Amino acid sequence: MNFRSRQDVPTAEDDDLALVQRARSGDAEGFRALVVRYQRKVYAVALGIVKDADLAWDVAQDVFVRVHRGLDGFKGESAFGTWLFRIATHVAIDSVRRERVTQRDDVDDVHEGDLEDAGEGILSTSLGNDPRETLLRHELAAKMEAALATLPEKHRTILVLREIEGLSYEELAERLGIHKGTVMSRLFHARKKMQAALRGYAGVPHRTPAPADVERRATEREVEE
Amino acid sequence: MRSCVRIAPMIGSRPGELPAEDARALAAHLETCAACRALAARFEATDGLVAEALLARANARDFAPFVDQVMARVGHRSPRAAARTDRRSLLDALRERWRIAVPALAAAVVLAAVGTFMYGGEHVVAEPEQRLASLEVELSGEGSIVLQTSDGPVVLLAPDDDTGS
Repeated sequence: MNFRSRQDVPTAEDDDLALVQRARSGDAEGFRALVVRYQRKVYAVALGIVKDADLAWDVAQDVFVRVHRGLDGFKGESAFGTWLFRIATHVAIDSVRRERVTQRDDVDDVHEGDLEDAGEGILSTSLGNDPRETLLRHELAAKMEAALATLPEKHRTILVLREIEGLSYEELAERLGIHKGTVMSRLFHARKKMQAALRGYAGVPHRTPAPADVERRATEREVEE
Repeated sequence: MRSCVRIAPMIGSRPGELPAEDARALAAHLETCAACRALAARFEATDGLVAEALLARANARDFAPFVDQVMARVGHRSPRAAARTDRRSLLDALRERWRIAVPALAAAVVLAAVGTFMYGGEHVVAEPEQRLASLEVELSGEGSIVLQTSDGPVVLLAPDDDTGS
């Protein structure tokens, strides 16, 4: 009986590299297999960033066309998936920025007002204690796309990359070309905004800010600007 | 509150992502700050839902045409699509080169017919008076063929040129 050692078991990355080699040598089926393997995940990343399903489809196609064009330049220094999703991120962001009308970007700094619970605490209560937790999470996931669409592009992008690709702070900093500290504060804002966007689903009315809050936030906005 | 502002961006970090000193500061702060503990709980409650939602949407979509569209754009075709296109290519090639192809095809058909008529065996041999009196292939115009038979000339016309050229 033959046993294969753990080292002999091919990994997904080994498979990717074998397919890349086949595609490079002109084997169309090799490239086709790479497309099939990653098409849905690339589409999901694109959808999270560009918000529109048809545009995400086009973006995902553009990504694979660029990958095909760049196969000879892929040195294998990073995993194929890393290289692929780097291209996907840039193509999706470019697509959004081409279409976006000029608008004021939110700042990444964290201020005291950002820490307040605007009523979204009900989410963690419901999700953490309800016996129907799994069902509720499932239902909530269905609302996530709409909630995500309310976020600015930079917040959508960082959340999508963090969650779908599972990138670390360092990887996010490298991918987005920003400092690690900015990654952390941007992620914080993105999460806070998602919580606020999901508040409606949890049945929590929007909190009317107290006059003092309004005045303080206006002052903070002036400082940011 | 001031320490909350410094600590808050660290909430939601994964093990090993923060420098040891920051990780210790976060842990110590969460022990004493109920507001930040609540914030951490909220973040944890919805962690992963964005990926779940987007991947579910991707999995629900019909991706059957996706790969063929990509392969067509990069110049590769699926075997089925290639076969379809190859059949079209043959017809297109004939259409484009009909001035050469039609006479050649017609001549081949005529020669095959005559050969069969004259040497094809008893059951296909016609009566002498029904035989071809003579065979004169004449290229008339740009693509027509005139066969001189005992019943008079038979003109094989080339198809109309629908390319406009």
